Amino acid sequence: MVMELINANPVVHEKKERRVRQAPDTIDENAAEPIDQLEIFDHIRDIKDPEHPYSLEQLNVVTEDSIELNDESNHVRVTFTPTVEHCSMATIIGLCIRVKLVRSLPPRYKVDIRVAPGSHATEAAVNKQLNDKERVAAALENPNLLGMVEECLSPTFD
Amino acid sequence: MARVPPGDWVPHVEAYVDVSRTAAQHSASVDALAALVNKDKLTLFDLVSKMDMYLTTTDHIVRSRGILLLGEILSRISFKWLDVNTIATLSDFFISRLSDWQAIRGALVGCLALLQRKQGVGCIAIADVKRLVESFLQNVLVQSLAAAERKLCFQILSCILDRYPEAVKTMGGEQLYGICEAIDEEKDPECLKLSFHVVEVVMKLFPDPSGLAAQFASDVFEILSKYFPVYFTHGVGDDLDATRDDLSRALMHAFCSTQYFEPFAIPLLLDKLSSSLPLAKLDSLKYLDNCIRFYGADRMAGHASAIWYKLKEVIFNLSSDQILLTTASPKDAEKNKNQIVSEALNCLKTAIMYIGSSDKDLFINLILLDEDIVNKIRSISSAEKSVLGSLEDLTQLHALGSVISILAESSAYFCTRVLQEHFTHLVDVLGASADYESRQLDTCNGSPSAPMSYGALYLSVQMLSSCREVALISYEDCSSVKLAKESWWLILDKKLDQLIHLLGSFFTTASRSLAPMFRQEYISCAVKGLLTLATFPEQCSPLPSNAYEDTLLMLTSVIISKFENVDLWRLSLKALTSVGSSIAKFHASQKEVVYCRTVVDKIVSLIESYDTPMPLSLRLEASYEVGTAGLNYMLRVATSLEVAIITNISEANGRIECAEHVAHLFECYSSRVLPWLLSSGGVSEHALGFALRLLDEIKDLTALDRISSQGLLDPLMTGMKLLVAVCTEGQQSLIVQKAYNIICSVLSLPLKLMSHRLLNVDELVPSHSVQETALISMFSSIIVALRPQTPVPNIMVMINLFTVFLLNGKMPAAYALASVFNKYLHNPEFQHEKQLDKILDEILERCFSTVLANNCSNISHPSDDVNFSDDSSGNRLSKIDILSGLGWIGKGLLMRGDEKVKGISMFLLRFVCSDEILSSIPSHQEEPYGGDSSDTSLATSAASAFHVMMSDSGICLNKRFHARIKPLYKQRFFSILMPIFLSKIKETTAIVTKLALYRAFGHIISNAPVPAVITEAHQIFLVVVDSLAKLSLEIQDKDLVYSLLLVLSGMLMDEKGKENILDNIHITIGVLTQLVSYPHMMVVRETALQCLVAISTFPHSKIYPMRLKVLQAAIMALDDKKRAVRREAIRCRQTWQSA
Repeated sequence: MVMELINANPVVHEKKERRVRQAPDTIDENAAEPIDQLEIFDHIRDIKDPEHPYSLEQLNVVTEDSIELNDESNHVRVTFTPTVEHCSMATIIGLCIRVKLVRSLPPRYKVDIRVAPGSHATEAAVNKQLNDKERVAAALENPNLLGMVEECLSPTFD
Repeated sequence: MARVPPGDWVPHVEAYVDVSRTAAQHSASVDALAALVNKDKLTLFDLVSKMDMYLTTTDHIVRSRGILLLGEILSRISFKWLDVNTIATLSDFFISRLSDWQAIRGALVGCLALLQRKQGVGCIAIADVKRLVESFLQNVLVQSLAAAERKLCFQILSCILDRYPEAVKTMGGEQLYGICEAIDEEKDPECLKLSFHVVEVVMKLFPDPSGLAAQFASDVFEILSKYFPVYFTHGVGDDLDATRDDLSRALMHAFCSTQYFEPFAIPLLLDKLSSSLPLAKLDSLKYLDNCIRFYGADRMAGHASAIWYKLKEVIFNLSSDQILLTTASPKDAEKNKNQIVSEALNCLKTAIMYIGSSDKDLFINLILLDEDIVNKIRSISSAEKSVLGSLEDLTQLHALGSVISILAESSAYFCTRVLQEHFTHLVDVLGASADYESRQLDTCNGSPSAPMSYGALYLSVQMLSSCREVALISYEDCSSVKLAKESWWLILDKKLDQLIHLLGSFFTTASRSLAPMFRQEYISCAVKGLLTLATFPEQCSPLPSNAYEDTLLMLTSVIISKFENVDLWRLSLKALTSVGSSIAKFHASQKEVVYCRTVVDKIVSLIESYDTPMPLSLRLEASYEVGTAGLNYMLRVATSLEVAIITNISEANGRIECAEHVAHLFECYSSRVLPWLLSSGGVSEHALGFALRLLDEIKDLTALDRISSQGLLDPLMTGMKLLVAVCTEGQQSLIVQKAYNIICSVLSLPLKLMSHRLLNVDELVPSHSVQETALISMFSSIIVALRPQTPVPNIMVMINLFTVFLLNGKMPAAYALASVFNKYLHNPEFQHEKQLDKILDEILERCFSTVLANNCSNISHPSDDVNFSDDSSGNRLSKIDILSGLGWIGKGLLMRGDEKVKGISMFLLRFVCSDEILSSIPSHQEEPYGGDSSDTSLATSAASAFHVMMSDSGICLNKRFHARIKPLYKQRFFSILMPIFLSKIKETTAIVTKLALYRAFGHIISNAPVPAVITEAHQIFLVVVDSLAKLSLEIQDKDLVYSLLLVLSGMLMDEKGKENILDNIHITIGVLTQLVSYPHMMVVRETALQCLVAISTFPHSKIYPMRLKVLQAAIMALDDKKRAVRREAIRCRQTWQSA
């Protein structure tokens, strides 16, 4: 049986040029380089879309500006935009972002994932599901789901 | 010859004929049979008579296998001689078999094998080839066969055509048609490649106009044209013997094989030029280029205008936006476009060159009178289009410029025509707009509205450079160019003054009123114009000498006064350098004089001047770049640098930046100018002269005092070393002699005594004043750089001097002694004075006893200059220095492979093991030792002496300073010391001593070659790991920790090393996880994480118990303050999580 794709023809955007971080002028061992927006974006930009061979960045699902970060209060909020309003993949995408960030950020952070307001039909439900610890944990117990998430994350660990 | 009985080989035949066997068995039996035939153990006659049944049976499967076997064997005995009868019989057989369609493969293989036989080993008769061709064309329906058989067919055809053309020469039209038919509708790439070749050769066989090629051209071309442009999607991975390029090239050769294709090919190619596929365009342009060359001017003249229109369309991109975006990124599309345009320009060049040969006005009229071109030039010169609007305009303009310059460059006549038509007008436009602008500037006070016409500027510069190209081609008979009634030269000559003036004015005005995006274009264009003018070959330069000078002056003044405009400055500098090298290329003597006067003198004098606002680095760069134009110029630069350095030293100016200034000058001199001079002619006289002059400067104590107080000593020492190093032996001995005389005159020494034996320190009482130390340091830098063959006068006196200074803890003396013993020990030239090795023993003995002595009273006389407030701390300081000096001498001996190094290392080792700890040195110390360590013990400094011995040094004892270096000396030292260290480490219990031992051994391990360390991994692995654990506790050892960690990661990369790590996986991971949070060095944390990632590939059962520990460490590192560490931590965590 051939599954029908939710969004058969997504608009593919160009990958933005990677901003190369300049090597610090003075090699100061003690100078701190705090975690910033770009670093978090670098973590999630290469996550593969669950149904297309494109990255979230290429599909404009996440952008650098959609990440809010407060390093002092240990809080990160990622707002993503599903490609179509009724996209049932939105929860999977959100789950991928969450898993990736939980694995990449120090445990002191609280990660908040949400769908961009007005970009999804069941916005509230998706948001609730994504930020419910137990539902996330339960989802990751499901081997099929976990496999899917791992596959989407694999390009980010090169 | 012993024959093999049939019983032995017949089974092979049966095996081959049996279709149920595997392919490998089949080929094995063919090989066996062919080997037998090749070795004459089996005659072909026997073979054929035994195979009789297989070759003639009515069972077509068996028959085809039989014939194929014979064919295969034949193709494998191509180097065996066969007599005429055999060949004839075989030919008869295979030719007759061509009609047997069920067994066709064998027949084809056999025919091909026969055709491919070389002359000397018996080959097929020409009559048989003819029969073969006839039978082939009559019986074989190529297109009904499988691909492999078709390939054989084409191989047969191309083999016949290449090697037996006379067999085909007499062919009639039907046969030719048969060949064409064979090709028709072919699709396999490998077959196609062959068939294109077949067509090419066939068409070349019948060149005469009444021949078959002429008659059949249209039919054949119809077959060929279907394949153009070659569409081929197989990638590299497909195991094919053909690429798109191969195919396309083969087809191109087929297109060019005969002139009779011209009426069909040219229209097709021109038509495909308008294709929307970039590939088709590119191919058409390439084919067109080749066809124009091949078909000849007579045939092509008729197409000239069509070709020009089509090319124009491509070059100016008139039918734009039609190109399909086959590739994803716009960058690739841009690249494609550029490639197409450049290919089109190439094609235009070919067309002008080849087609123009019959009627020289044909192309020039076509292009110059072309409506589009005329309009474009007119719009450029008209007022409203004078401003550069957009990038689109710029590309159009560049296209126009390229067309014009291709046209003008192709011959002197064309050049004249182009200049007649446009040049005067363009220069006038340029002049008018410049006038306008200057008026605007006057009235509106710097807010002009209409800048100068870039188009006019660009085109006229383009024409100028075309003129130069033409002049370069014909510069032998340039007098005729000048005398001709109408020539480009005269036109240029008339407008020259105005043009130079205009170009010069760009430097001042144009840059102000433009968008920065286009400013660069203006400037580079103007500079290019001036450069072109200045690099005309001297004989036919339109430039009178004063104008030439003006041009150079303009550029030079930019260098001197406009350094804040970086683009302009660099371009002008580059232009001046190319002018200089063109002078050298054409041997233009007059020009050289002018160039020297106007450019080199002015720029070089910048080095010496003090009060220019220009930064020193730019001044040095300008001088060096100009110098690279020729040897004479560089010599001027060198001289002027010397003068600048000498004046800086001798002038008693109390500037703070002075030392830095001199260091810069020296750095430029020694790292850029000297290497350049050496690579272009080995001028070491200069170095010699300079070194002698430097010595002159330091010959009195007041000068030395000033030098050291201004901090000039270090740059001077470094410079002196480099200078001496490049000199020859004779020159070096001059320098040494002079330096020796200076020392003798400055210090009053008991020379006689000194030259016989090593004096006691008491007997020789130099005051160790700052000045004397400076003098000895300079002297030591000369000794350090000597060649081993250079004779040194009074070597004993020198050794005496240096020993005294070493015992007072002066490091330069140690460098000098180390170099002396490295180069001259056991040198027969010095044996007669006194055995050097005995002196060495004596020196070492003194060093040892000084270090061991408890108080300082009997070795050092604290003099009034060296105001050590604390006597014992001074003593300790110099002891530390002596230990380090011993390290240097040890290094010198080690590098030449001398045994005495053992004595030194054992002495040092004794100190490492001694637990005497000195209290921390008072903070008001004058020379901080060892950089960051404030708590230095003798044991630590003995340990770092091992570092001195093992590491490579830039100060002395390296290739540059002619040290004797025995190969693999580090490896040898490592393997000698390793067992000693291991046993010492084992028996030591005190933690302090153990740390010192770890440090010393760590220096040795980390500097030894990694492969040598890895082969001993089983012995030292635990020591390395333990060192890492212990040394990581203190900040002063951070570099050592990093080096040791690198050794560990080297072991991780090696199979043998991995085994050792696996055996000690617990400890290793324990230390690595500890290093993940090493606070003092980021790279250590990063490397530790990388090592952990590498370890995660080890067998699961071994590493699983440590998984939790590693994960905890990695999670901690996720919050590291450095980004690079966090990135590694994520990787580490991910790999271990899934491990």
